[in-house]
Amino acid sequence: MIRRRLALHLSVLVAAAGVLRVGIVPAEVCPPVTAAEVEASIDEAVAWIARGMTPEGRYTYGYDRGEDRVNNGYNGPRHAGVTMSLYQAHAVTGSDAALAAADRGLDYALDGLFTHGGFTAWDVLGEVNTGANGLLLAGLAIRREATGDTTHDDLMRGIGRFLVIQQYPDGSVSGYWHRSTGTSDPVFGTYSTGEAAWALALLDRAFPGEGWGDAAARTVDYMATERDRREGRITRLPDHWAAYTIAELRPDLLTDARMDYARQLVGYFGMRLRFEAQRRGDGINLLLRWFPGPPAGVGTAGEGIGALWLLADDPRLTDLAPNIEERIGCTAGFMVGRQVTAEEAAASARPDLERGAWFYRGYTQMDDQQHVLSSMLAALRLMEEDRT
Amino acid sequence: MSDLLLFLAFFSAVNPSRSRVGLPEGAGGRMRPGAVAVGAALSLLVIAALGWWSASILEALEITPETFRIAAGLVAVLAGWWAFVMAVPATEPPLGGWRDGVWPIAYPRILAPEVLLLAMAGATQNGVAAMTAAAGVGIGVLAALGAVRGTTRATRVLVAGGRVLAVLLVVAGIFLMVDGIRDV
Repeated sequence: MIRRRLALHLSVLVAAAGVLRVGIVPAEVCPPVTAAEVEASIDEAVAWIARGMTPEGRYTYGYDRGEDRVNNGYNGPRHAGVTMSLYQAHAVTGSDAALAAADRGLDYALDGLFTHGGFTAWDVLGEVNTGANGLLLAGLAIRREATGDTTHDDLMRGIGRFLVIQQYPDGSVSGYWHRSTGTSDPVFGTYSTGEAAWALALLDRAFPGEGWGDAAARTVDYMATERDRREGRITRLPDHWAAYTIAELRPDLLTDARMDYARQLVGYFGMRLRFEAQRRGDGINLLLRWFPGPPAGVGTAGEGIGALWLLADDPRLTDLAPNIEERIGCTAGFMVGRQVTAEEAAASARPDLERGAWFYRGYTQMDDQQHVLSSMLAALRLMEEDRT
Repeated sequence: MSDLLLFLAFFSAVNPSRSRVGLPEGAGGRMRPGAVAVGAALSLLVIAALGWWSASILEALEITPETFRIAAGLVAVLAGWWAFVMAVPATEPPLGGWRDGVWPIAYPRILAPEVLLLAMAGATQNGVAAMTAAAGVGIGVLAALGAVRGTTRATRVLVAGGRVLAVLLVVAGIFLMVDGIRDV
């Protein structure tokens, strides 16, 4: 009788443990990766972007390898985002190839500039998008700091004035500006608010004492307290641009409330990346966790947590530092493994459009490379600091 | 998780009130002190050992402690629901004498899945000492309840108390899951 009861209890225990293991806590696989491997991955991603550029400075938008079809759509924020990411690559690795490609991308944007009432903005494909201008300005600020070139200082301030015009008194940010009416459109963009705020924070770093940082902080407060409700979201937006913004705010602007928001963001990114590490995309894991996530999504979590790692010395975040570093390293490990290698690309129809790219179910887009590249740069910065 | 949540989770997972119901009793309707002592000591030993090795076990399983907390919380919620629905646990045949402490007091009554998972989740975040102390409170109360005579009235009170602790376990499990989700 006792043996039968013991066998029953143990059977239930083992079965439940099995269900738990497979369904709730599959292994989180973090392949070991070296700084050299991360740097090689960065170079390949930069090369993919540079190879696909048109003579006028546009990037290849997307490629479907199953259909061997190039997506010829285009999008201003993504153009500015890729350009900014290339400047980040130059800033971290010193890559001349990244700087040259970014400058060509910048030239394309400079052709679309216009001035109006004291500000300068980029009209891309007939749309004056706040996010695109924010990322363009962020790229310029990163370029200025990395190269010491002050050529575009007036332009930076001009775009900064545009972003401030787009900002409402409560810190919210209009997503668009209409050239025909000369007014801001009272519509919010999902990410343009954070993109504008980050650009303003970077502008404050470049030109301290001109008030840009206070404008950025106003939008951080809006993002931390009101944005999701006001903009109709049920859950919090895990906004990597907000993370970048807080990471770049002047130290005197890092209030407890803003640091609490940073903690929340780190939590979102950490959860996302832990879940991603559980994905293998085969067998029963595919049924329970689906395919390895879209590279742009994984990359945004990686760059978001990477940005906030810059604040890990702050006593209000120090306790999270080991976990932040673990997630950054883990993400770099599995994303290096997911990148198409030269050998894999050689067997494909369009090796140049595959090598160095990250695909999601057979499709890759410029922002896949952008976000994972930025995430890899955060990992490399961490690894180099560990080394020194 | 905070030390308070750790304590509440362990106390409601051990659920001394529900666990007392149906355990083997000696003369006078009270549990045999020897069996209670063996069961309590053995349970604490297993819990402490599991806590001590928790980091290595999770590393071998390639699970981060943060993700494991989500699993422990989920199991706590399910176990709390089960304890609420099945307020009177199944009566297990005793081994007899002090050996009742091994079966059924230590296992399966105290060392239930939710307690084992909490031991690992608690030790990785709060440390082995805090976790074992939290478990010790619940087990100590169960040992004290062993001295209560298993009358019909006492059993009714224990079952009601068990249900309250079952609800508390569900709440603690939810907090634990949220903790695991929000952590980095």
